[in-house]
Amino acid sequence: MVVSKSDLIKFFDTIQSKFDVFVPYQTERENDDLVFKKYDPDKEFILDKYRTVDPVRTLFYMPSESVLPPSAKSNKRIIAGVKNCDLLGLAVLDDALLKDNFVEPNYKIWRDSSYIISCDCTDTLQTCHCVLLDNNPYPNNDTEGQALFDLNLSPVDDKFIIEVGSKKGEELIEKIKEVCSLAEVTDKDKEIREANRAEVLKKVRDINSDFTPDRHYDVITENKEASVWKDFCNECVQCGACTNICPTCYCLILNDESTKEEFRKVRSWDSCQLVGYAEVAGGGTPREHRWETFRNRYQCKYNFMKFNFDKLGCTGCGRCISACPAEIDLREVIQSLQEV
Amino acid sequence: MPDKNPYEVLKADVLEVIEESPTIKSFYLKPEKPFEFATGQFIELSLPGIGEAPFTPSSSHYETEKMWVTIMNAGFVTNEIHKVKKGDVMGIRGPYGKGYPLDKFRGKDVLLLGGGVGLAPLRCLLQTMIHDVKDYKSITVCFGARTPADMIYKDQIDEWKAVEGIHHLCTVDKCPDGVDWNGKTGVVTVLLDDINIDPKDAIAIVCGPPIMMKFGTFSLLDKGLKPENIYLSMEKKMYCGFGQCRHCVMGKYYACKDGPVFTYEQIKDEEKIWD
Repeated sequence: MVVSKSDLIKFFDTIQSKFDVFVPYQTERENDDLVFKKYDPDKEFILDKYRTVDPVRTLFYMPSESVLPPSAKSNKRIIAGVKNCDLLGLAVLDDALLKDNFVEPNYKIWRDSSYIISCDCTDTLQTCHCVLLDNNPYPNNDTEGQALFDLNLSPVDDKFIIEVGSKKGEELIEKIKEVCSLAEVTDKDKEIREANRAEVLKKVRDINSDFTPDRHYDVITENKEASVWKDFCNECVQCGACTNICPTCYCLILNDESTKEEFRKVRSWDSCQLVGYAEVAGGGTPREHRWETFRNRYQCKYNFMKFNFDKLGCTGCGRCISACPAEIDLREVIQSLQEV
Repeated sequence: MPDKNPYEVLKADVLEVIEESPTIKSFYLKPEKPFEFATGQFIELSLPGIGEAPFTPSSSHYETEKMWVTIMNAGFVTNEIHKVKKGDVMGIRGPYGKGYPLDKFRGKDVLLLGGGVGLAPLRCLLQTMIHDVKDYKSITVCFGARTPADMIYKDQIDEWKAVEGIHHLCTVDKCPDGVDWNGKTGVVTVLLDDINIDPKDAIAIVCGPPIMMKFGTFSLLDKGLKPENIYLSMEKKMYCGFGQCRHCVMGKYYACKDGPVFTYEQIKDEEKIWD
């Protein structure tokens, strides 16, 4: 199916009375950053281009939320313009927070009430490196062949090809049809989509031409004493920006905010990069040195999460590179380890 | 039916507080409804408005109406918990983690090697095993503490010794002059010289401070116990208790949901298990 951009705007204008709609907008600062914001009919949104500054995780796993009682709201939400690196991030979070015997109460509410409309990337940032993780700048299915989006949009001239990925997607299509008419996809549309995809794929590859795409992650734990860790961590100030901005990080701390009347627990983001993260009451810590703390994020993303979920905890979004005040580039860290 | 909130807390009345040693107290709790758990599983015990921390109950899983929890004053939360008095209200949630695989212990020589507050989970295990004492070939209890004053559960030693099939040995690192002490002197591993078990088939459960677990494990290996028959309780920083806060991650394992009890065989190649 194909929808024109003007019809899609009409759909958002109508649906926003029933759904909370979030779409990427350009920031007001003088750069090209995109951020998810509540839909504003008077402002021009950008569904394609590249990833937003914050991962879509921040709409599902807030910096601080009450988990007892759960504070998430079950208003229906549409989140549009989600990129593949964020879809893959949500897949990791789903495994971590929903698929065990213990279901994270807020994440479950936010996830159940949300409809995800992803969009192919049409441009890249200098930090984008999904290709190094064998991912694409447009949706790839999960390991079971399941789509990770409800609907996906592929920009073709002034319209979008819509692909349905789930039951929720079918529901959305019905709602779109209530306000506008959808055309069939032509061969010409498909051709343009494939050409666009090939072009953006090449662009990400070109940006990352200094890095080997044939990366091995066992070397991270195999070379856990390597000088690479000590060298790169010299610049690290342990601010935790890299983990706070990551689409798959979910480490938490709990605070007890109970009153005489009720028990109340509040969960907040934590970061393995912060001092004292793994320290126990007696003062013992499994990671005594700063370089061990620095290394932990790499082990977690590429080794531990792979073992835990059979998925890498890095989706190649490159946000940690953009956010690092010390300009540490994790691609360079991984590259250096390949050469140890 | 919405999923059960894993953070759900049960109110627990404090029925009694016992001072076990200068730094360790036991709290007798009555949860608002019976609380089922498997021996070796742990709970998150909270002090409203202050915080919570993970503890393994020190009473048997056959007792579900009330439970004992033994706690050392070691940090911010436990310091506040030590101020709790009879009649106060606390919160418990859980149980979390895997229990001791009692099925694998039956019919075998079972050795409990504990030090300091590490005796707490071992007391839970011992009380559970006493309930079915004939199921085990033998039960040997080797408990250590720094000084006689630091030895917890002293008043129960005679009770345990009276149970047929149980051998109880204890030691202190040092005994100050003029203090009565019937046990041995020396670190807990000295007790291993005096025990008579078949090492090839024996099971050892070790719990105590990291340094004691490390040397306890090495002594047991020297004695001929198999790595897969040595069970260790791992103490790691934890918040959630069920594999979501990631603080307790030990390589590919979570100390909370894959443990807190691991065999030495499972974790011997993981990094810094003794820290």
